[in-house]
Amino acid sequence: MNFDKELNARGLSCPLPIVKTKKSLADMTTGQVLKVISTDCGSLKDMAAFSEQTGNPLLSTVEENGEYVFYVKKK
Amino acid sequence: MEASSLTTVIVGSGFALGAVFGFVANKTNFCTMGAISDVVNMEHWGRMRAWLLAMAVAMIGVNALGYAGSVNFSETLYASKNFYWLSYIVGGLCFGVGMTLAGGCANKNLVRLGGGNLRSLVVLFIMGFAAIVTMKGMLGTFRINVLQSPFGTVHFENGQLLPALFAGADAAGAQTMQLALTGALALAIVIFVYKDGRFRKSLDNNLAALIVGAIVVGGWYVTGHLGLAENPETLEMTYFGTNSNRPESMSFVAPSAYSLEYFAYSTDVSKIITFGIATVFGVALGSLVYALASKSFRWEAFSSVQDMSYHIIGAVLMGFGAVTAAGCTIGQGVTGISTLSLGSLLALVSIIAGSAITMKIQLAMME
Repeated sequence: MNFDKELNARGLSCPLPIVKTKKSLADMTTGQVLKVISTDCGSLKDMAAFSEQTGNPLLSTVEENGEYVFYVKKK
Repeated sequence: MEASSLTTVIVGSGFALGAVFGFVANKTNFCTMGAISDVVNMEHWGRMRAWLLAMAVAMIGVNALGYAGSVNFSETLYASKNFYWLSYIVGGLCFGVGMTLAGGCANKNLVRLGGGNLRSLVVLFIMGFAAIVTMKGMLGTFRINVLQSPFGTVHFENGQLLPALFAGADAAGAQTMQLALTGALALAIVIFVYKDGRFRKSLDNNLAALIVGAIVVGGWYVTGHLGLAENPETLEMTYFGTNSNRPESMSFVAPSAYSLEYFAYSTDVSKIITFGIATVFGVALGSLVYALASKSFRWEAFSSVQDMSYHIIGAVLMGFGAVTAAGCTIGQGVTGISTLSLGSLLALVSIIAGSAITMKIQLAMME
């Protein structure tokens, strides 16, 4: 999937991956896609809740080798 | 009922209540640290509303039990005549900082452990050890001689539950005050929580609040009503099945410490499995059941030295903080609050402040 910016949140624990996601999205423009890589499995639920609460669509969630990759579109 | 079978009922009930708590907390993502983080970092109040509503539900149930005379809340830890303000503030702040560094409070770490998180296992062991050290060990002396010294203590003759504080020794007045305060506080919370349309539609947040509140009420009923019986040895009325020999409900730090003690000293006949110990295992197991059923179970470990050190520091602060503040975000934040205890209120505000300040610092360090 194409993306405009990548956020490396590996090694960060809840709630930091979400906080960093919010900060990264703030610097982006509408329609751009942010790729977030996290190693915290709590981010699975957190990222879905974040997307629902903020209205920034979560385009895709991929889990591989203990890493979680999210694609979030800036609303 | 015989004392041993009564204790079995109390312990079994604690395990069942804990298991439901763990299952629901995992399913709904109920998290007190997450609630504070959502407010501080995201300006979202959904999970905070769930926590507040859990307090209101517990408050209503608990005061109904008290009013009906089913449980005597003036005999609980939260009604203590010694109001250790300094201890509640310092302990609360430490717990708040600790839970933010350790990825969540004691309850959340039990829920995470059930989901396969080995970091939480390390946090729980270290937190439990720090709690023992603060209860009975090297830090216990500091806690008692410094934080709970006469300077840091106010003595309330009628205990520190708000109705008794306002009404004094007048028992009938205290009962009226109890109804009025519970009604006013619970109503204010319910209005604040349900005026938000998103919360009204959030099944998870509603479920978490109602179940957690009800579990706390259930815990009080089990230990404070079912557990009160005549001790065949002393012929005195005694609370069976708790570590404090008083009524208890959900609380997770001291019971984690007692769990470690039980493992270490179980050949000592005075060590028994109690309500608190059973809730600790119940929460982890309930969460495990949900994790397996929903296929969300994942083994997790520390990702770096920094990650591990933050969790260790957080665990120590949580163990020290919760014993010093007489409870955690559930022990003080729902169970204590439900009794309308002044100390619980002060401890809860201090926990939230400690956590929020830590989050602000973390945010500033990122920039």
